[in-house]
Amino acid sequence: MTQSLSKKSKSKIPVLELKNIVKTYTSGNTTFNALDGVSVCINRGEFVSITGPSGSGKSTLMHVVGLLDNPTSGQVLLEGQDISHLNEEELAKTRNVTLGFVFQQFNLLAKTSATENVSLPLLYSDVPKSLRLPKAIEMLNKVGLGDKLNNTPAQLSGGQQQRVAIARALINDPKIILADEPTGNLDSKSGKEIISLFHQLHDEGRTIILVTHDMDLAKQAQRIIIIKDGKVTNKKC
Amino acid sequence: MLKPSIDDLIRSSIRSVLKNKSRTLLTSLGIIIGVTSVILLTSIGNGLTIYINQQFESLGSNSIFISPGKIFNDNGGFNNNESARFVTTSFTESDVNLIKRNLRGNLVIPMAMSSVEIKSNKITKTNITLAGSTYQLGETLDRLPSPGNGRWFTQEEENKNSPVLVLGYTIARDLFPTGNPLNRKVIIGGKNYKIIGVIDKKGSSFGGPDQDSQVYTPLGVVFNINGNENLAEILVKTPNKSQVDSIKEELNKLFLEKYDKDAFTVFDSSQLLDSINSIIGTLTIALTGIAAISLVVGGIGIMNIMLVTVSERTREIGLRKAIGAYPRAILLQFLFEAIILSGIGGIIGIILGSLGTAAINNFFPAKVTFSSVSIAFGVSFMVGIIFGVAPARKASKLSPIEALRYE
Repeated sequence: MTQSLSKKSKSKIPVLELKNIVKTYTSGNTTFNALDGVSVCINRGEFVSITGPSGSGKSTLMHVVGLLDNPTSGQVLLEGQDISHLNEEELAKTRNVTLGFVFQQFNLLAKTSATENVSLPLLYSDVPKSLRLPKAIEMLNKVGLGDKLNNTPAQLSGGQQQRVAIARALINDPKIILADEPTGNLDSKSGKEIISLFHQLHDEGRTIILVTHDMDLAKQAQRIIIIKDGKVTNKKC
Repeated sequence: MLKPSIDDLIRSSIRSVLKNKSRTLLTSLGIIIGVTSVILLTSIGNGLTIYINQQFESLGSNSIFISPGKIFNDNGGFNNNESARFVTTSFTESDVNLIKRNLRGNLVIPMAMSSVEIKSNKITKTNITLAGSTYQLGETLDRLPSPGNGRWFTQEEENKNSPVLVLGYTIARDLFPTGNPLNRKVIIGGKNYKIIGVIDKKGSSFGGPDQDSQVYTPLGVVFNINGNENLAEILVKTPNKSQVDSIKEELNKLFLEKYDKDAFTVFDSSQLLDSINSIIGTLTIALTGIAAISLVVGGIGIMNIMLVTVSERTREIGLRKAIGAYPRAILLQFLFEAIILSGIGGIIGIILGSLGTAAINNFFPAKVTFSSVSIAFGVSFMVGIIFGVAPARKASKLSPIEALRYE
């Protein structure tokens, strides 16, 4: 973790680059391009938001960026490597080490302690078992929940649950943190705290992609990518 | 290397299964019932076999019996052929002498049977088997009354056709519910008989006559009651067990010269035992098979609950996939949960089956076998795999996007 953080230098190669991505959905006889030749790039250490009205292709773009879905055509380059044709298993492994997800619904495992929730991604990684708990505790301390290690989601407030989710996203020291409407289920005070946590992580040199329909929230980022009708309408890199 | 590791999978599956204890218990109920009944039935079959083996050992392992009719079929089972079963051949004194002449050194004991009515003071019992034999029978078949319970009849009493009776344990109790039957009189066919001995409880042998209800008397007494000198059975006791087979062969040869091959049967207790054991074995397998149906039903219950679980936990599956679980990891996780569900059922079933067996053993022979426990556990394990695969595959094939969106 410290290795990538210490390299605050922004290398020439973007951490993630999408080239002319098309994603087509077919329903009966009609085809629909959710993404219609989208090209964007995300540089290392950037805090970028992706925004657009509902139905704009924002979610589809997030899925492609999150390596949850393969594009119909186009290239996805992760640190210069084309990964648009990886199989499901390779994609899962890449997600595990490259991406940290933060969801609107938190998606924590019920009746499961904060440390176990946070260490969940390590179950699918090469981190030795003995390091799981210390790493989970470290991450929970980082998000200010050092005193809630054994609390289950039901024993935590919404804001605290989202912090647990962020700690989980951080545990594998991902190249990119992808947050999908992370404040959507929170009151405004908790929402602000979460955003300031993102700022803090960004200041530490992390790359953050924030997906939101809320323009005010999107403006918190360094750079905004606006998508409309499956096309990116502003500056792409 | 497999990620997560097997012990991680087992631990997380146990944890998920234990999160909903009452559901787990109810889901496992089918397996619990199935395994319990399989273990109970095999234990009863096994106990019965052991018990009967013990019973037959008391018949004497170096005793050979010659009976009229064809008792066994060619496969070693009991004969079912009507015409052969009702052969009315009777042996006589000449057959006994034939054996005695040709097979010296062996003890030959003739037996005659009669079904009689016995009256004590107040009680009348009908259809009692009165076995007439020699003074040697008591010792040969381990029927000697124990000290204090009288004696077997003597050679002298046998020669004189003395009206003396040795009673089985049950018939003695039936005729004289209170008081000691020794030296009391009973009436058979209008004549008085004196009770000189009561045999200890032997238990009934399955498939054979109830030994405890038999009454023994000198051979000539039965001849007089029957009005003929027909013998129901001839017992040949060899000096040692190793000679049983060769003597059986010689007896067969001897009797074939005189009788048709279906008119008599030469057998020893092991042969009878083999037949009975094969019947019990078949019966146990059949009943266990029926009980095993409930294992299938239990498996369907597990599959049902696992499908519900997969639906309920769609978002969790989506999350796990998003953070790096590949399809096989999800498949194994849910498969392990199904196996653990049925495994829990198997373990509880084994415990209940063993306890039940111990309880049954108080009034009926039953004994848990290691093989029945391991088979029951193995089967419940297999049920978990077989019925867990479909839900686990469903879970592993969920698209992470769809799963994360699932409400």
